[in-house]
Amino acid sequence: MRRFLRMAGLSFILLITSAGCTDFVEPNQLAFVIGSGIDYAGDGMIEISHQIAIPSKLSGSSQGGGPSDSESFIVVSAKGRNVFEANEKVQRKISRRLMTSHRTLVVISDELAEKMDLNKMFDKLNRDPANNQRDLLIMIKGSAKEFMKIKHPLEQLSSIATNKELLINGWNHYSIRQFMIDYAAEGTRAVLPFLQIDNNREEKDKVHLVLLSGYAVLNKQLKIKGILNDSEGDRAVWMAGRGTFQPLTIPWKEGNGRLSFRLTHLERQIHLANGKNHGNIQMTVKAQAYLLDNTTELDMSNVNNMVMVKKYLDERIQKDMQVTFNSIQQWGPDIFGIGEYYHRKHPYWWKSQRDDWDENFKKINVSIKANILLRSTGTSGGQLND
Amino acid sequence: MKLSSYQMYWIVMISSIVTTSYLPIHLAVEKARQDGWISMLLGGLAMLFFTWLILKVCKQNENKTLITFMRELLGTVLGKILVLMYFLLWFRHLTTISRGTVDFQNLVMLHNTPMILILCCLLFLVAYCVCKGGLTAISRCAEIIGPILIVMLFFQLFLNPQDMNYKRILPVYADTGWLPILTGTFNSYCYIVDPSIALMLFYFAENKQTASRAILWGTATTVIWGVMATIVLMFVTGPQIASELVVPIYSLTKYISILNFIQNIDAFYIPLWLLAAFIKLSLCLFMLSYGLSEWTGFRNWRLIACIVTGIWLVFYIYSNYNIRLSFTLKSVILEGVYYPFVYLVLPAILWVIGSVKKRRKAKHSIS
Repeated sequence: MRRFLRMAGLSFILLITSAGCTDFVEPNQLAFVIGSGIDYAGDGMIEISHQIAIPSKLSGSSQGGGPSDSESFIVVSAKGRNVFEANEKVQRKISRRLMTSHRTLVVISDELAEKMDLNKMFDKLNRDPANNQRDLLIMIKGSAKEFMKIKHPLEQLSSIATNKELLINGWNHYSIRQFMIDYAAEGTRAVLPFLQIDNNREEKDKVHLVLLSGYAVLNKQLKIKGILNDSEGDRAVWMAGRGTFQPLTIPWKEGNGRLSFRLTHLERQIHLANGKNHGNIQMTVKAQAYLLDNTTELDMSNVNNMVMVKKYLDERIQKDMQVTFNSIQQWGPDIFGIGEYYHRKHPYWWKSQRDDWDENFKKINVSIKANILLRSTGTSGGQLND
Repeated sequence: MKLSSYQMYWIVMISSIVTTSYLPIHLAVEKARQDGWISMLLGGLAMLFFTWLILKVCKQNENKTLITFMRELLGTVLGKILVLMYFLLWFRHLTTISRGTVDFQNLVMLHNTPMILILCCLLFLVAYCVCKGGLTAISRCAEIIGPILIVMLFFQLFLNPQDMNYKRILPVYADTGWLPILTGTFNSYCYIVDPSIALMLFYFAENKQTASRAILWGTATTVIWGVMATIVLMFVTGPQIASELVVPIYSLTKYISILNFIQNIDAFYIPLWLLAAFIKLSLCLFMLSYGLSEWTGFRNWRLIACIVTGIWLVFYIYSNYNIRLSFTLKSVILEGVYYPFVYLVLPAILWVIGSVKKRRKAKHSIS
C-alpha cells in the first residue's frame, strides 16, 4: 500500500511537471497572423501590419465561404527599428499571442526596398524558429498596410486571396526560402512578384481586386533595378527557369486573326554557344503548347498548317524573348541564373567574374532559341464560319 | 544483463544518429560548403574504420569488460589512468546531448519553462531508467524507438521533392578544394558515430559474432544517413543557406510542405529525436556508472549512477554560466588530440599489445 502511494504520488508530480503546462497556450489565446505587411515609416523605422483572422467571423463552407457583412479580420500595425521590435509593439496592442506559423504571405512595399537595407530585414525570419519560411514573399506598389486592409470580394482575407491568386496562376516559386536562396547565391539575382491594387472597382468601400502586375527585379543589394510588366515578366521567369505554365496569344502573319496557346512544361537550358568562348551563351527555351483559340483562317487539321504554326511560334517567341532579355540585361541584375550556370559548369572561369557580376553580366552575349512542341490543336479542326 | 544482436544494432544506430542529426552536418557544411557531403563521407569512413579496429580489440578480449582488459594489457596503473579517458568521453556526451535537448526545447517550444525544470525531468527519467532497469530497459526501449526513428529520419529526407534542385550541389570540388573539405571532416568526424560504445557493450553481447556485425551495420546506417541528409540539405537549400543553419535537419523538416497541406512535420521529428536522445543519455550514464563501479571496486553501480547524475546536474548548471565551457564543439585540442586518442590511438595500442601477447602465448603452448 505504501509502495503504491509512493508511486502514485510520484506519477502525479511527474504528470504536473513534465507536461510542459507552464507554456501551455489555449487556441483562444492565440492570434493567427495570416499575412504581414512591412512598410517604410521614415527615419530608418519600419512599420509592420499584421492581418489577423477573427475566428468567430470566419464563416464555414455552409455559408458558401463568401465574405459576411462584418469584417473577418483586423489589421494591427506598429513601428519599430527592426522586425522584432515592431512585432513586439504589435503584441502590446493585442490580447492574444501572435502566432506566425500559419502565415501565408509577407508583403513589402516598394518604398521599403528603396529606402532600407532589405537583407537586414530577413535575419529574423531565418533565426527565429517560430517563423515558417514557406510563406510567399511579394512586393507591392504603394502601402502594404493598405493592402492588408483590403476587403476581397471573393475571399475572406486579402492575403489568402493573393496567395491563391499566385498559386492558381502558376507563380509558385516565390517563398521566403526561395528568395533567401536566390539572394545568397552568387550567380542569381532575386525577382519578386509585384502587385498593384486595382482601383477601378468602385462599388463598395475598400473592396478591391488585387492585380498581379508583374515582377520587381532586384540587384545584389536588393534594390529595385526595374519593374517588368505582365508579359515581359512571363517571359523573364520562363528564361529564369521558374515558369510553370502560362497563356500566350500571338497575332498571325499580316494581322490575320490571332492564335492563343496554353504553354506547359516550361523549361530553359543554357549552353556555351561555341566551344571555348565563355562570353557567348545560347539559351534554349522549351515548352509544350496547346492551341486553344484560333481566329485565323488556318485549318488546323492540316499537317502543313501545324508545321507552319510551330515554326512561326518558335520564331515569334524567340524574337520576343530576345527583346525582353536584352532590356533586362541592360539593367544589370542576372535574374536568369546565367552566373549560376557558369558557377556550376565553368567554376574556374567564374571565379574571375563573380566579384562584379552585375557589371560583367552586361557584357555576356546571349542568343535565345525557342523549341516549342505543339502537343495539340484542340478538339476542333477548322473554323465554324462556313 | 545480456544484449541480443538485434538490440545491439538499434542501440548503436540510435546513439550514433542522435549526434549525427544534430552536430556534424552543420560543422562540415560550414567549412566545405556544397562539398560538405564529401567531408561527411570521409569522416564516416574514418569512423567506420575506427569501429572496425575497436571491434578487433573487443574480439580479442571478448569475455572481459573494458576496465578489466585495459588493466591486463596495460598494467594496473596505466590501464586505470587511461580508462579515465573513456569516462571523460562519456561524461562529455552526457553534457553535450543534454545541452542540446534542453536548450532546443527552450528555444523552440517552452519559452517560459525554467531550464532547470526541463533538465531535472530529463535527468530523473534517465537516472530512473538506468537504476531500475539497467541495460535491459535501455535495450528494450531502443528496440521500440529505433525502427520508428529510422523510418521517420529516412522518410523525411524525401518529403521536399518540389523544392529539391540537384544542381545546387554543383560544382563539386572547384569552389572549395581539399583544404576546406578536410577541415570540414576534421571538424565533424568525431560527432558522426560513437565507436566507444562498442568497447563497453561488447562484453554484454550474447552472440559475439553477430553482435560485431550488428555494430558495424549500425554504424554504417548512420554514416549512410548522414551523407544522404547532407546531400538532401544541399539540394533543398543550397550551400549559402545551409552553411548558416545551426540545426539543419530540424530546419529541413520545417521546409516541408506537401500540397500546402502536410506541413509542420517538426512536430513529429522533435519528440522522436528527444526519445532517441534519452536512449543515448541513459546508455552513456549506464556505461559510465558501470565502468566507475568496476574501476573503484565499489559494487553498487546504481548508487554511482545517482551520484554521477548529481555531478552532471551541477556541471551542467555551472557550464551554463560559462559560455566558453559550453561551446567546445570546435575546440582544436579536443578534435586534434583527445578524440583521435580515444577512438584510434588507444584501441590501436590495445590491439597491438593483445596480438603480441596472444602470439607469445601460442608460442609458449607449442614449445
